[in-house]
Amino acid sequence: MSLSCCGAIDKIKGETDFTFALAGNPNVGKSTLFNHLTGMGVMTANYPGKTVELNIAVTNFEGHRIGIIDLPGTYAIGGVSEDQWVARQAVIDGDPDVVIVMVDATNLVRNLYIVLQFLDLGFPLVLALNLIDQAEKKGLTTDTDRLAISLGVPVVPTVATRGQGLDTLMATAIEVARDRGKQPAHATRYDEDIEQLIRELGAGIKTADNGFPHNLSSRALSILLLEKDDEFINAAGETAEGRSLVAQAGRLSAQIEAMHGKPSPVSLARERYGLAGVITQEVQTLSRREVPLSEKLWRSTTAPFSGLVILGGVLTGLFAFLFFVGSWLSNQFTYIWSLTASPVIDSVIRFVAGTGVVAHILNWGFDAGILATLGIGIPYVLTFYFLLALLEDTGYLNSVAFLTDRIMHKFGLHGRAIILMIAGAGCSVPAIIGTRVLTTERERVVASTLITLVPCSARTAVIIGALAFVGGWQPAAAIFAIVLLLIVAVGMALNKLLPNQPGGLVMEMFPFRLPSLLSMSKKTWFRFKHFITAAMPIVFVGSIVLGAVYETGYIWKLSAPMAPLVEGWLGLPAVAGLTLLFAVLRKELALQLLVTLAVVKYGPEGRNLLHFMTANQLFVYALVTTIYIPCVATIAILARELSWKKAVSISAFTVGLAILVGGIATRLLAVF
Amino acid sequence: MNSRATEEYLEALYKLSEAGPVRQARLAEHLGLSQAATAEMVKKLILAKLAKRDKTGSIGLTKSGTKAALETVRKHRLSERFLTDILGLPWEKAHEEACKLEHVLSPEVEDGLDRLLNNPKSCPHGYPIPDKEGVITTLPTRPLSDLGPDEKAVIALVSEDDPEMLKYLATLGLMPDVEIVVEEIGPFRGPLLIQVGAARYALGRDLASKIMVRESA
Repeated sequence: MSLSCCGAIDKIKGETDFTFALAGNPNVGKSTLFNHLTGMGVMTANYPGKTVELNIAVTNFEGHRIGIIDLPGTYAIGGVSEDQWVARQAVIDGDPDVVIVMVDATNLVRNLYIVLQFLDLGFPLVLALNLIDQAEKKGLTTDTDRLAISLGVPVVPTVATRGQGLDTLMATAIEVARDRGKQPAHATRYDEDIEQLIRELGAGIKTADNGFPHNLSSRALSILLLEKDDEFINAAGETAEGRSLVAQAGRLSAQIEAMHGKPSPVSLARERYGLAGVITQEVQTLSRREVPLSEKLWRSTTAPFSGLVILGGVLTGLFAFLFFVGSWLSNQFTYIWSLTASPVIDSVIRFVAGTGVVAHILNWGFDAGILATLGIGIPYVLTFYFLLALLEDTGYLNSVAFLTDRIMHKFGLHGRAIILMIAGAGCSVPAIIGTRVLTTERERVVASTLITLVPCSARTAVIIGALAFVGGWQPAAAIFAIVLLLIVAVGMALNKLLPNQPGGLVMEMFPFRLPSLLSMSKKTWFRFKHFITAAMPIVFVGSIVLGAVYETGYIWKLSAPMAPLVEGWLGLPAVAGLTLLFAVLRKELALQLLVTLAVVKYGPEGRNLLHFMTANQLFVYALVTTIYIPCVATIAILARELSWKKAVSISAFTVGLAILVGGIATRLLAVF
Repeated sequence: MNSRATEEYLEALYKLSEAGPVRQARLAEHLGLSQAATAEMVKKLILAKLAKRDKTGSIGLTKSGTKAALETVRKHRLSERFLTDILGLPWEKAHEEACKLEHVLSPEVEDGLDRLLNNPKSCPHGYPIPDKEGVITTLPTRPLSDLGPDEKAVIALVSEDDPEMLKYLATLGLMPDVEIVVEEIGPFRGPLLIQVGAARYALGRDLASKIMVRESA
């Protein structure tokens, strides 16, 4: 369950000795550090209206209870993007005793930027100089003592994936936390002319009644106003002192712009980069320049030819793994369940509710419903999450995004989305949860809609199973081709119809890294836990409702109102329409139920579907089953990741599309 | 000769328009004046045929406006050179003083300064000084998206349509005067893989077309 940030932060502050915030650029090993420091008891919290989450945990170190706030990985802190906003707001609200900033020793200049921003805000810092092993491989040596003197903060070299230096890091952070308040005010840092303006503006900040957070120094506020930070400027508008400060800041910003020829936010960014560059030059030396093997290998994944070949291999591998290994695991799981869990649940229900209709209905929920979640969850979702973590943590996901960006652009998506579409061929649910890696709501909506159209393994089972009665591979191939065309058409149409333009792609690329198994496993587990908690209740309730409709025989009454659509428009027997209702629970149920209901209605020969359906009808049936409404687990996840409104809209859209395409197919097939 | 205020406006318009069409609000902000005062003055400039508005309402300089602006820019930058090189003022002070001097220099004094300083090509901040005819020698720029693999260039300017994006790019180190190397172009005319310092980024083509670059020195 997600908590509100303020509530969660207050809670841990109340029960711990110190609070540390972890900050740093993306991909520097921050989550590895967080996972190393904390156990399983991690809370996630978010600010209202924001999707970026904070991880908060309590840990023990040498007798101290320490609350850890893991900030989102960002290149800077501020108001530009949601993650940057959350990172800054959380330190302002959380007022941590120490901010541990993890920096990448192989790219010190860019990583020092956020360090300088935290220094500007005036928080006590400890620097974790991570990836020193990689830096040494590149021939970069860092004088950590000099770096500490230059910045005026302790620096601890670390290799987070191996746990190296992390105890020293914690011990240092505790020392700094104990000395909090005794920290000397740090010296001026930027060019004297800018520092002068910062002081001039800062001198005007006198009272606490200016609409700003109370734990920021006047220097911090001056810089934020000179950077034209929208949020602080708006906050200042609430008071008279604030308004006059903003007016003064406007004049001083114009002065900076006139002197440096660039708008003041850019001038200040340049100052930070200048300073970061000077410090790096002082403390780092490059002894040799040699491209490591991992980097050469990585470059072959982004070069057009070799990159596409490797990508083809990886995508095929991913698809094959989810398709074959996933369905094998799913079958094994279902088999084991039917031997072990099913009889137990069955006897418990019989003990509680007897053998009547109620017992049968409960069986739908407790047996079929839980099986439906775990039967998808363990074989598909869990394995996919692990593979996704592997692709992410090695850095290969970024190469994929780079290669496929152009194609996905046609749908208003970035390259990253291709992995999710492929994942959707295994199971829609993890693929939709995976859309979190996309940056805008617009991309998430497009990607989620397209993913629901990608035939998942359950739908593929229906296509192949139903058309096996017809014979030959061509009908199945035709269905896949139709669906692929629909995906392309819907993708392009959505890109045209949705407001706004797709955002520009800016993504950091980094050479391959050896991922940490612990970190990948924890990431997989967290995501899996989210899936189970979100999907299980809805599948359970859905199963009970469907069970009730089936067990009470009410189902047969439903065939009359559906007749015009199912028999008239789609040209299918009414009994086939009924199974479509039930397949919402789990798509492969469509075929199983079709056979079951056929036997009830037509007797034993109903087992062969060709007895009461023509080849054309089976084709339309498979097509409609593939396209119409995603399964209930998918709907639940859509609602969770987007909103109920969007989940319902997407579901309704797929139903409409399926009816339209199915009807057209019926009429076209009648002609040929 | 134009009034002092006119000169200030023309100079500001000239500087801002280097980064693309200028919105009135941006001009007001740059000058530290109210929107109303700016609107009034812009109206006067348009009447005097020194400035014009395009269809979107953005303000630009006319030919004669540009010439007048360059004259002021030349005086400003020559004065700065004089104040720092001859009088030894610190450069942030030099800028302020030059703002006053630029409006009072007669052509004779301007020529005298030019001779005294040996016909300097740039101001202390590195910006070019236009010659007497108002010709400014700048290196040609082209969009980053035109570069091919293994080409090097220096960012000249980043188009200012989206200030948030500009800020974001600056935090990544993508800002003017920074050297970049294009390492790879994505397949099917895809994104660019660029190197900036020790960092590598994939940049979408549409974004790369808004970043103008010049030959690296």
